[in-house]
Amino acid sequence: MECTVIAETSGNSIHPITAQLVGAASSLGATPIVVVPGGAGAEEAASIDGVSKVISVVGDCFSTFDSGAWASAIASQCSGVVIAGATPIGREVASRVAAKKGIPIIQDATDLAPGITITRPIYSGKAVETSTVSGDCVITLRANAFDAAGSDGSASVNVVDQSADISIAVKEAISKASERLDVSEADIIISGGRGIGQKENFSHLEEVADIIGAAVGASRAVVDEWGMPHSMQVGQTGKTVTPSLYIAVGISGAIQHLAGMRSSKYIVAINKDPDAPIFGVADYGIVATWEEAVPALKSALAAL
Amino acid sequence: MPYEALDFYDVDSLLTDEERMVRDMVRDFVDEEVIPKIEHACRDGVFPDEWRVALGEMGVLGAPLKGYDCPGLSYTAYGVICRELERGDSGLRSFASVQGSLAMYPIWDFGSEEQKQHYLPKMASGEWIGCFGLTEPDYGSNPGDMITKAEDMGDHYLLNGAKMWITNGTVAQLAVVWAKLDGVIRGFIVEKDDPGFSAPEMKGKHSLKASVTSELVFQDCKIPKDRILPNVKGLRGPFSCLNNARFGISWGAVGAAQACFDSAKDYALSRIQFTHPIASYQLVQNKLAWMLREITKAQLLAYHLGQKKDAGTWIPEHISLAKMNNVDIALEIAREARDIHGANGILDEYCIMRHMANLESVKTYEGTHDIHNLILGRHITGIQAFTREL
Amino acid sequence: MNFKTTTLRPLKFIDGIPVEGTSKGNHMTIAVLLKQVPDTTAKISVNGGRVDENAVSKWSFSPYDEYALEAALQLKESTGGEIVAITAGPARCEKLLRDAAAVGADTLVHVSAENFNEFDSTQVQNLLAAAVQKSSASLIFCGKQAADTNAGSTGPGVAELIGASCVTLVTEVSSEGGGYTATRPSSSGHEKVAVSAPCVFAFDKGVSEMRRPNVRGIMMAKKKPIETWSVGDLGVDIGANGVNIDSHSPPAEKPPGQKFEGAESVSTVVSKLRDEANVI
Repeated sequence: MECTVIAETSGNSIHPITAQLVGAASSLGATPIVVVPGGAGAEEAASIDGVSKVISVVGDCFSTFDSGAWASAIASQCSGVVIAGATPIGREVASRVAAKKGIPIIQDATDLAPGITITRPIYSGKAVETSTVSGDCVITLRANAFDAAGSDGSASVNVVDQSADISIAVKEAISKASERLDVSEADIIISGGRGIGQKENFSHLEEVADIIGAAVGASRAVVDEWGMPHSMQVGQTGKTVTPSLYIAVGISGAIQHLAGMRSSKYIVAINKDPDAPIFGVADYGIVATWEEAVPALKSALAAL
Repeated sequence: MPYEALDFYDVDSLLTDEERMVRDMVRDFVDEEVIPKIEHACRDGVFPDEWRVALGEMGVLGAPLKGYDCPGLSYTAYGVICRELERGDSGLRSFASVQGSLAMYPIWDFGSEEQKQHYLPKMASGEWIGCFGLTEPDYGSNPGDMITKAEDMGDHYLLNGAKMWITNGTVAQLAVVWAKLDGVIRGFIVEKDDPGFSAPEMKGKHSLKASVTSELVFQDCKIPKDRILPNVKGLRGPFSCLNNARFGISWGAVGAAQACFDSAKDYALSRIQFTHPIASYQLVQNKLAWMLREITKAQLLAYHLGQKKDAGTWIPEHISLAKMNNVDIALEIAREARDIHGANGILDEYCIMRHMANLESVKTYEGTHDIHNLILGRHITGIQAFTREL
Repeated sequence: MNFKTTTLRPLKFIDGIPVEGTSKGNHMTIAVLLKQVPDTTAKISVNGGRVDENAVSKWSFSPYDEYALEAALQLKESTGGEIVAITAGPARCEKLLRDAAAVGADTLVHVSAENFNEFDSTQVQNLLAAAVQKSSASLIFCGKQAADTNAGSTGPGVAELIGASCVTLVTEVSSEGGGYTATRPSSSGHEKVAVSAPCVFAFDKGVSEMRRPNVRGIMMAKKKPIETWSVGDLGVDIGANGVNIDSHSPPAEKPPGQKFEGAESVSTVVSKLRDEANVI
């Protein structure tokens, strides 16, 4: 099966998802060509197991992200089944490559089987769709859903100089706002309750939040007693939240708190009391003191 | 949890598209602007001014009135608006009822052309708030014996007397005041700054805490001659207003009941006792089934009354029945919901106790429960039983 | 299957070069692509291998589309022009257009396709690109992805077909000189980029929530005609479907909660969050 992987780059190197894309292609029985937009990390891509060839597409157009220009520059190198990462850049470039070639695109696959049968979550994970594609197509893959290929390969690298017109000009960079995400819009929330002892200890939760781009929430007890902002409060009289991941630290799980977070997709509870009701709704419960568990969480997340 | 409006018989499918769009607009407003603020408003005892602004911007004040920049919606739409507002809080619905049915309506129906053009546009936009002065400290169910009086002084009227339990009084720019002129009840428009007029707020309520309730005091209050409502005399004036307000209440009470049901259902499903959700126990299911039954009946009553109001085939007794029944069951549902919530039901983390306390007022104002029974009794028998004088 | 050669109406853009001026002064037309989806709070159930539309309690705008519509309304308020709300799908979608009209959309277009949910991305994009061209819009606003498919292919795909630029994950758009400035995320935070029409802006959560309608808007919306364009009216061959949807199914049951003792289990849980739950 003819197959092309569009590599995801990150700064001057290859993003780890690229090895997962190659792994997925291999599982379909393909030995894909890897196209590296802009060329960064092409040598690294060549070392991924199962790659037949790396095409490093270089040109001025890669200095700015313009999916139209990028797709123009790489489309002619992409043939057969095209696989990219379901990252913001991957999705957009892949969409334009598909449209340029007049072939369908299926985004955010979590499983592939020869045929090609594609599984992907729809309705934000409330249902799963299985579909079959017979001809050429573009598929983007969810990060961490596929096993990465190894790194013992030694494919050749062809450099192609391909220019394309950029229609987007960066006028001004705005550095990351230091403002913390609001709990009502965050995809990951780490919340603290009375069990963490005192208001100052929220700084530990904030450090964890910074690593994974989470919002910091709080139970009503600490909002009332320690004067935390009401906007942080999760629960019956606070915000009702439905993030993908909710981490409750030192929260016993009063019914009013559960009312605000029990629809979260995954719940992690950290509490030293093994009988705390929060464990009743937790997918992963950790019976431990926050003083031990939170630093461990920080280092485990930082190591990802 | 997101609000699920109980509509077991899909009664809302009978609404027009426009009525459903208005419903969704008001429901979103209540979800986004009212529910997050209502408990604080109650604790502070204030009606948040941004709600006035929003009601004006949405264009729902004086909903069924036509012309003079008024919305021109159906009475059914007005009912739907009341229902959605009262799902938030009875005080919020009271604000809209008083503005639309009790202050704008009499000007619209009984006012001069100049009065309509002068007052209605700014009341529809919410720029001016109105209130309605009928009840007096000693004359509640018996307004016909009111003692507030007006005297014709040649180039002006002089008002003397006091009104009580007046929603919006202190924050209003105008009051429609009913007073006796030569022994006949007449309507007068009194403006905030008229000399001799004051509107002190009544404090200490355990009910409708996010609503302003006031006294209106007239001490040689001097108003221009063109402030009398020229086109009505006698109790027909205030009673026409009350019919419209009561109509809105019959819908509004359904909203309060739906809110209580929604909370009780959600709580019963998540509260574990004896290792199972309490929703799995027969006594709790019995309560929930009874709530569903009564709410469904109340919805059908309100909807059909709305159709009759729009078709002009209603009589005041129809409204009395709906107001009395729907408030009665809403209050009973609030009490049952409090029971299902156990001790948690008394906390302001849940809407239950607030609705329950509010509905005690709603049961009494705009014609008490008992008075509506007497209205129906008179209708059935032809014998009035309000007084001993037959 | 090839979009450009099968179109029957005059093209506004040929290979990305506008052949008619469409973005001058207040003649600017903004097409807003809107999709009706089950409300994100609604339960999704599966019946007969498909998500059961009859069981959907509430249909709404796809949330990111709301930001696109609001941004379009604001741009129109500052520069003039006209907003064409376009939705594709079965008859139920007309409600969405009325809701768009109630907040200020000027023209309502329903691209009628009863089996729209079965279309593959090529067909969807061919159809919408044809509708956009028929509307003469030079700016196209849409959400970064719809809340049903969660894909995000439509904005860039339509841009490709009509030869337009595309900026995605946009939070804000303003008019500047003869062109437009959009804010989008960058590796170091955010950046403002300059583009000119024709351009597709695919919105992330924007700076302003969609405005609430009012009664006046609702009453005007009721009277506003909806133009219904069928695939035939658009004169476009949308091509054959290359993707066969085999089935929809409920998500796999989550395993029962797992409980671990001690802080040393944290790294196990973190791996499970990545590999089992796939949430980090």
